[in-house]
Amino acid sequence: MKSFANVNPRDLKDAVAQLQKPHAVPVGGGSDLLGMVKEHLVEPDVLVHLRALRGLDQVSSKGAEVAIGGLITLDNLSREPLIRDSYKVLAEAAESVATPQIRNAGTLAGNVCQRPWCWYYRNNFPCFKNGGNRCFSITGENQFHAIFGGGPSFIVHPSDTAPALVALDAKFRVTGPRGDRTVAAADFFALPKVNAAHENVLAPGEMLVSIHLPKAARGARSTYHKVLDREAWTHAVVSAAIVLDMEQQICRSARIVLGGVAPIPWRLPKVEAMLAGQRITPELAAKAGEAAVEGANPLAKNGYKIPLTKAVVARTLLSLA
Amino acid sequence: MSRISRRRFVEGTGAGLVAATAVPLKGQEQRPAPPTPPVPHTAIQVTVNGTRHKIEVEDRWTLVELLRDHLGLTGSKIGCDRGECGACTVLLDGKPVYSCSQLAVWADGRSVQTVEGLARDGELDPLQQAFIEHDGPQCGFCTSGQLMSAKALLNHNAHPTRDEVQHAMTGNICRCSNYNRYVESVLAAAGTLSASAGRKA
Amino acid sequence: MNTLNSVGHPSHRIDALQRVTGRATYTGDIRLPEMLYARVLRSPHPHARIRSVDVSRAQALPGVKAILTRENCDVIWGSGDTRNQRYLFNNPVRFAGDAVAAVAAVDRHVAEEAMRMIQVDYETLPFVLDPEEALKPGAVEIQPGGNLSPNNRNERQPEVYRRGSVDDGFRAADRVFEDHYTSSHINNAQLEPRVAIAQWEGDHLTVYTPTQGISNCHTEMARDLKIAPEKVRIICHFMGGGFGNKNQNHDFELMAAMLAKQSGAPVKLEFTRKEDFVSVHGRWPTKQYYKIGVRNDGTLTAIQLRGYSGMGPHRKSSGGIGGIEIYQCPHVERSVYPVYTNMAVSANLRAPDYPQGVFGLESLMDDIAYALQMDPLDFRLKNMTRKFNDQTPYTSIGLEDCLRRGAEAFEWKKRFHAPGEGTGPIKRGAGMAMGSFFSNMGRSSAVIDVDSRGMYHVHVGVTDVGTAAKTTMALIAAEELGVPLEKIDVIWGDTDRCPYSVGESGSRTTTHTGHAVVEAAKDLKRQIAAKGMPQGNDILTATANTNPTPPANAARYSFVAHFAEVEVEKETGHVRVIKYVAAHDSGRVVNPLTATSQVKGGATMGIGMALHEELLYDRASGKPLNAGYYGARVMTHLDAPEIEVHWIETEDPYGPFGAKTLGEPTIIPSVAAVANAIYNAIGKRVRDLPMTRDRILGVLA
Repeated sequence: MKSFANVNPRDLKDAVAQLQKPHAVPVGGGSDLLGMVKEHLVEPDVLVHLRALRGLDQVSSKGAEVAIGGLITLDNLSREPLIRDSYKVLAEAAESVATPQIRNAGTLAGNVCQRPWCWYYRNNFPCFKNGGNRCFSITGENQFHAIFGGGPSFIVHPSDTAPALVALDAKFRVTGPRGDRTVAAADFFALPKVNAAHENVLAPGEMLVSIHLPKAARGARSTYHKVLDREAWTHAVVSAAIVLDMEQQICRSARIVLGGVAPIPWRLPKVEAMLAGQRITPELAAKAGEAAVEGANPLAKNGYKIPLTKAVVARTLLSLA
Repeated sequence: MSRISRRRFVEGTGAGLVAATAVPLKGQEQRPAPPTPPVPHTAIQVTVNGTRHKIEVEDRWTLVELLRDHLGLTGSKIGCDRGECGACTVLLDGKPVYSCSQLAVWADGRSVQTVEGLARDGELDPLQQAFIEHDGPQCGFCTSGQLMSAKALLNHNAHPTRDEVQHAMTGNICRCSNYNRYVESVLAAAGTLSASAGRKA
Repeated sequence: MNTLNSVGHPSHRIDALQRVTGRATYTGDIRLPEMLYARVLRSPHPHARIRSVDVSRAQALPGVKAILTRENCDVIWGSGDTRNQRYLFNNPVRFAGDAVAAVAAVDRHVAEEAMRMIQVDYETLPFVLDPEEALKPGAVEIQPGGNLSPNNRNERQPEVYRRGSVDDGFRAADRVFEDHYTSSHINNAQLEPRVAIAQWEGDHLTVYTPTQGISNCHTEMARDLKIAPEKVRIICHFMGGGFGNKNQNHDFELMAAMLAKQSGAPVKLEFTRKEDFVSVHGRWPTKQYYKIGVRNDGTLTAIQLRGYSGMGPHRKSSGGIGGIEIYQCPHVERSVYPVYTNMAVSANLRAPDYPQGVFGLESLMDDIAYALQMDPLDFRLKNMTRKFNDQTPYTSIGLEDCLRRGAEAFEWKKRFHAPGEGTGPIKRGAGMAMGSFFSNMGRSSAVIDVDSRGMYHVHVGVTDVGTAAKTTMALIAAEELGVPLEKIDVIWGDTDRCPYSVGESGSRTTTHTGHAVVEAAKDLKRQIAAKGMPQGNDILTATANTNPTPPANAARYSFVAHFAEVEVEKETGHVRVIKYVAAHDSGRVVNPLTATSQVKGGATMGIGMALHEELLYDRASGKPLNAGYYGARVMTHLDAPEIEVHWIETEDPYGPFGAKTLGEPTIIPSVAAVANAIYNAIGKRVRDLPMTRDRILGVLA
């Protein structure tokens, strides 16, 4: 690897200051970052090792909301009883990531801020994500690329936890050189037409520090369904994070957010509206699946994601209802 | 003798080349060495298989590099160096991780267990014994990683189901594809494999 | 079949202890004093002329000790191409990943930095990735003389096999079927990435390298470096798989040797995983066009195959498309065009000619059976080969038993049904396929000595790619010598201590080297009978250099039949193998424990080939996109079904105790069995490998 200095920050303030150094990057678990350094996708001079910070990996309940330290490992997050009980979609999403070894190192914040796995990007093609001004997938191999929200870049957001957090109406605490701010999960991710080079709204030097979940409704049921490209260890081909607020058999409200189909976690407000106040029958679930793919814009090779998305939405809804 | 020109490089001075017999490579004029900044180092303490090591590491060394090249523990293998195969799996504070995807400096103050630390006082771990008896290793290159993932599993779940074994070990690729045998071995080590299924040939 | 004392009994690998304790020393584990580390710079372009290579910045980096480019190194890698001159560094470069320079430095990080400082001025050239496109007029010429690689008689003609006349055969047919299939380039993906260590002591070279055959590697290193063979030593004690890509010698071993010579220090040259995927070789991609004639009663009258194999820009291997041999048919014509392309080089991967050919052939045979309303099992029982090429008797053939007993164990009649039958979102289906693999006989040597403690030392030029070859040799020696296995010590993996063996390629170790071991053991027994056991420090030594003649008018083959049941989810295209039975005739099985592992492994690899693997290229740039374990979607624990193995042990008069080939037949019918199971489940055919989700959903739409 290229040479760099590892810095263990004393506290968050120190971490922010260290990130101001030239070519400094934050690192959580490191699985993804080290691979990117080895491939020369990132050429840091300084690694700010956030896992050296104490206390930023805890789950705590504060009255109405739950606070999750961004540096919690995916494995610990998926085992946390409070998360499993009341925010199952997030536990399942965390559990679906890669393999035990990666989940033991990878952090929630790292997973949310993960860079795309588009093979053009990862093979150093000079695309939007690599400082260039085109997207090679449009006329190339786009089997795993976006069917919604694409253009000018057609990556899909690679995170499993991101759709779950959007579905949970999470809020993100961000810190940086200009202080702290709170961003709704839904507003954290940026469409390429807004910003083709980056997937989220973090400004240079900013870090995702903690994730805050509103109190789960009493009738809340949630799950994460992920379609993989072998039986384990791939990013989502299509996934669905669904949170239903149920009262008896009636769905009072729904949150449905897809992964693997768009450059950002893809919320389906129309489908959510269809379900509000309804009993979720197989027929309604099928209709929801149909509605979920309205407006999809497939590329030459990813049209199969349309029937796949329909099926995933319908059966995930039914499994929850 | 093959028709190859010989050249020798002078260490460290960037003093250019002493061309011997054939055409020198183009562009090889005498050039001063560009100033190279020193490679950052850090002194760390890491416990490996119960032994505490104090060692200075380059910040860029991965944990597997530290283990293999500097601590002489070559049992952990590098299959891909990208966290995509599991051959480098070690236990870091008891949890399986890809040591190719951890920096050595991050192991400061922590404890690592590798395959070399499985056997105790010359006695093989039941997993190792089971791997021998149930033909776990074919080429053997993934074996250390498979053992460490299995060890972590049995450490917290002494009687896993077949499904639990497969889930726990799915981060370890075996290209010889000897998966059936590895699962059989782990179940046998856990004492949960039924006698009849044990040595089916 | 009679029971023997050692052979035929399940035995642990004699080196299993080293493998499970981390004490097995693989090449990458070796460190020599003052050793340098080397990396190779590679072309990013699929086809380009190199105008210049500027190494000045790299040379100036402190710690850099040697740099090779074409300008100062014109070593020819003889085994890298059997038809063209292939240098270590070629100009033009002909595939993305082709070597341009190699650097040795004090550590691998410096080597990498230096490598990246080398500046190359490329003039890009047009390129072609598809073998049929490469044969069209106007396609860029990749090697002088054209893109059709010459056949074994050096003619620009396809490799052709013919018997009878297919035109007659089609005329005699009641029905004629045609279809075409494609298969992808896939990588061997063995867990141990490429690495070699070269050390000169005076004019003597030692190379530590993972190789499937130390003897051939040795001969070829001497040949390519133009030095006497006795000045070369090849050492490989443990190696982490190869499946056919670690045979003979390789360019990286030569580069390590040349860097070591230039720098005056030992050099360890390491590949990244991506390099291993792109810059070594993988299975050739194919396009297969079949035309088959049958009578209404199911009798085959003609089989015609026209096939194209993408070899990459170098012809390392046959490019064959096999499988037809498994059928009895009076009129056969197979013409295969091995074609140069600008993709990664294609060469041997486990049963190189077969799983892709059997996929195409058995898919169509299945379709024919269904069209004739015959059970595919009955169709195969009717038409299976009885004599090799319908002409030469087999030394032993257990194919029918493989089919019948495999079908019984699989409960074929229960699981098989009309294609696509049944409603519901999850469709189950059963499929099968059969195959055969040449069981060669040939040259090998073995030396056995015995000491006064009664320990026998068997010296064989074997390295054990994972097949348990060492253990097999030990069992054979123990059997012939009439001593317990514990009395056998195998000495392997070092050309200074071990005699010739072809190594592990073509599944020949058991048959060739095993035979030599038997003969050496017989000689040693004669000596012991004559002189008594040695005393004190004495030893008795026996040598065998065998080169048995293959039986005249007899063909020696192993036979296999695989049965798979799958579940296909119609809405998602998800495929899961839920039952798998493999029935194998490899003559006498020397070690049922490790042999069964081989079958499980080969079948599982085949499932991965069927469902997932392809080295995908960006057509516009000619660059590979998904090199590596993640991109290739190599099978994981959760992907691997339980593979049930049944041995059909035929009595074969040849080979050590009647053993026939084993390691490679294991993958031959697996891809086709899965493909046929998918067809049976959904009633729709996927004709392109891999049969990924998008393709399944595509045919279901």
